[in-house]
Amino acid sequence: MKRTALLASFSLAALALSLSGCAKNADSKVLTIGLQAPISGQYAAEGQWARQSAETAASLINAKGGVEGMQIKIELADDAGNPKDSALAAQKLISKGVKLVVGSYGSGITIPAADLYDSKGVVSVGYGCTAVRLTMEKQRSNFFRTCGRDDTQSAFFAKVVEKLGAKRVAIMHDNSDYGKGVAEDAKKFLEPLVSAKKTEIIYYDAITPGNTDYTAAVQKLKTLKPDLWFYTSYYSEAGLLIKQARQAGLDCLFVGSNAVPNPEFVKIAGNAAVKGSLMLNEPMPQFLATPEATEFLDAYKKAYKEIPGSIWAVYAADGVNALVAAVKTAKSTDPAKVTTAMRALSGAKGITGELMFDDRGDRKNVPYQLYAYDDKGELSPYPLP
Amino acid sequence: MTTFLAQLLNGLTIGSFYALVALGYSMVFGVMKLINFAHGDLFTLGAYLGFSILVGSAGALTGLCGPWVGIALALVVAAIGVAAAGLVVENLAYRPVYRAGRLPLVVSALGISIVIQNAVMVIWGPRYQSFPAALVPQTAFGTGDFRITALQLFILVFSLILMAAVWFLIEKTSFGIAVRAAALDRETATLLGINYRTVVRFIFILGPGLGGIAGVMVGAHYGRISFTMGWVYALKAFTATILGGIGNIPGAMLGGLVLGVLENLFSYYVSDSWTDVFVTLVLIIVLVFRPTGLLGERRADKV
Repeated sequence: MKRTALLASFSLAALALSLSGCAKNADSKVLTIGLQAPISGQYAAEGQWARQSAETAASLINAKGGVEGMQIKIELADDAGNPKDSALAAQKLISKGVKLVVGSYGSGITIPAADLYDSKGVVSVGYGCTAVRLTMEKQRSNFFRTCGRDDTQSAFFAKVVEKLGAKRVAIMHDNSDYGKGVAEDAKKFLEPLVSAKKTEIIYYDAITPGNTDYTAAVQKLKTLKPDLWFYTSYYSEAGLLIKQARQAGLDCLFVGSNAVPNPEFVKIAGNAAVKGSLMLNEPMPQFLATPEATEFLDAYKKAYKEIPGSIWAVYAADGVNALVAAVKTAKSTDPAKVTTAMRALSGAKGITGELMFDDRGDRKNVPYQLYAYDDKGELSPYPLP
Repeated sequence: MTTFLAQLLNGLTIGSFYALVALGYSMVFGVMKLINFAHGDLFTLGAYLGFSILVGSAGALTGLCGPWVGIALALVVAAIGVAAAGLVVENLAYRPVYRAGRLPLVVSALGISIVIQNAVMVIWGPRYQSFPAALVPQTAFGTGDFRITALQLFILVFSLILMAAVWFLIEKTSFGIAVRAAALDRETATLLGINYRTVVRFIFILGPGLGGIAGVMVGAHYGRISFTMGWVYALKAFTATILGGIGNIPGAMLGGLVLGVLENLFSYYVSDSWTDVFVTLVLIIVLVFRPTGLLGERRADKV
């Protein structure tokens, strides 16, 4: 008898909990914008910055009266930085009736979510996913991204190699969608230099992400004596790699792709190890000069005591801004109308510049720049010779 | 030749981490036929406890007496803390479920693993933490290809001493005989007067304690810790346990060292991204020829 009572109360509790998740957003005074971000897991830092940025952007808009008479509410879904949880997070947002989503960080992680959102007609705006295949592999009807695209980055890398006169280039990635994409594009863009015998790719291989010991890979690289070591994947491994490299006595120039430079990278590796390394990135938050940027960074700093550590978080805020601008233009929150408005956006000023998207959903006019770490672990622009 | 030696040495260092964690798995499985899924997370807890102690009070100590004292304190506190946690885990997650059979035990183990991992995330935050370079001994010897840090040397020597001590305890003392007897046949052991509860408590103190020590050493050696770090080590340590023969304590140590060395050599001479494939292949080949592992006893089939 006692057992059935226990079983009954458990199932009742479970039922009650599941029903509470079903409450539809029937309140027309609130516009819910979903945010999918890696709040936990290996990219937790990026996820938290993204959440804080989106909240700041939303509160700035709400303070100005909201959009179309509605106040913005950010609905968070944690994708833990891996594709499996990403699909679950997307499902969660879809089942809550959210129609406009900003997400996510990590191209390989965004792809399953973007597919799900697209199939249900939900508009999604990626903010930290720069792999070319996200928009070029197949046409997604409702996917946009406020960040740039990796072929721009790889072309810029080839220019950097040429200008710096590096003869022996090592390219290392982690087999992720993003990392491998950048590495392959880099190899492709370096081809003219290679055939002109101006440079040579002496190492092109991957490491296994998630490990902590890369001393063997670093030793192997050391025996090949590279002039320039290009690591194209995420900051979590990059920090360990450069730390172990410097400990092993590998002192060549280290160039990181756009997922490497952020305070976590410096924290893991230590100031001494990162000194002098160069980073390829879209403009970093501390160097943004638009009035919108100043307003956003001030509000963010007031709430969270520091500015976001990476540009991807700022792109998340711009994702919110882009969606709001589209809603304003379309005078509606219907996803199909918002998508049309997004494609036609013009004159919408975002934190990172003008918000314009091409017909594949990519952001237009994203510049790439070179930054260098000094001995205090701070970044500053590095002018190319 | 020096590069080979350097890789071998590094492989032994990694291997000793795997061995210390594998010991925990092997002991628990040997005596209780239970795979303690929470072991990897207890290892993580050890790393975080060491981190907190180092950054907290040991920081002051280090300023006074040098980084080695700080590390020593971190090791002691982590060992005791995680051993206590291991006992709590046993009492909370396993003891109430023994009578229900093997499957509920496995589910309970997975459950407590999730609880510990998320508890660490909630307490210390989901972002990476770093053992501050100023609080970890930094001296290094050697030049060129053969470079070894004093910390690495200490880790290697200390781990080998620990493993030798455990081996001695299990093989040469009367308490060790009790543990081995309980692992062989629980009922007969209790008939002969061995207190099964005491043996269980002992393995849940020693196993997690060693895991906690390994956690601090990993944190000090690599610098970076996160609440998910236990997963990869647990997987590798589990592979090492199977390689050496599950339930066999010297086997766990051998399996760990062999795994570490193989991984490092493959990574250097072949390719880092294929290492996991090769190592798993080696495991499969070993199991084909010796199904109970490298040191596992051949069990006669009972008719």
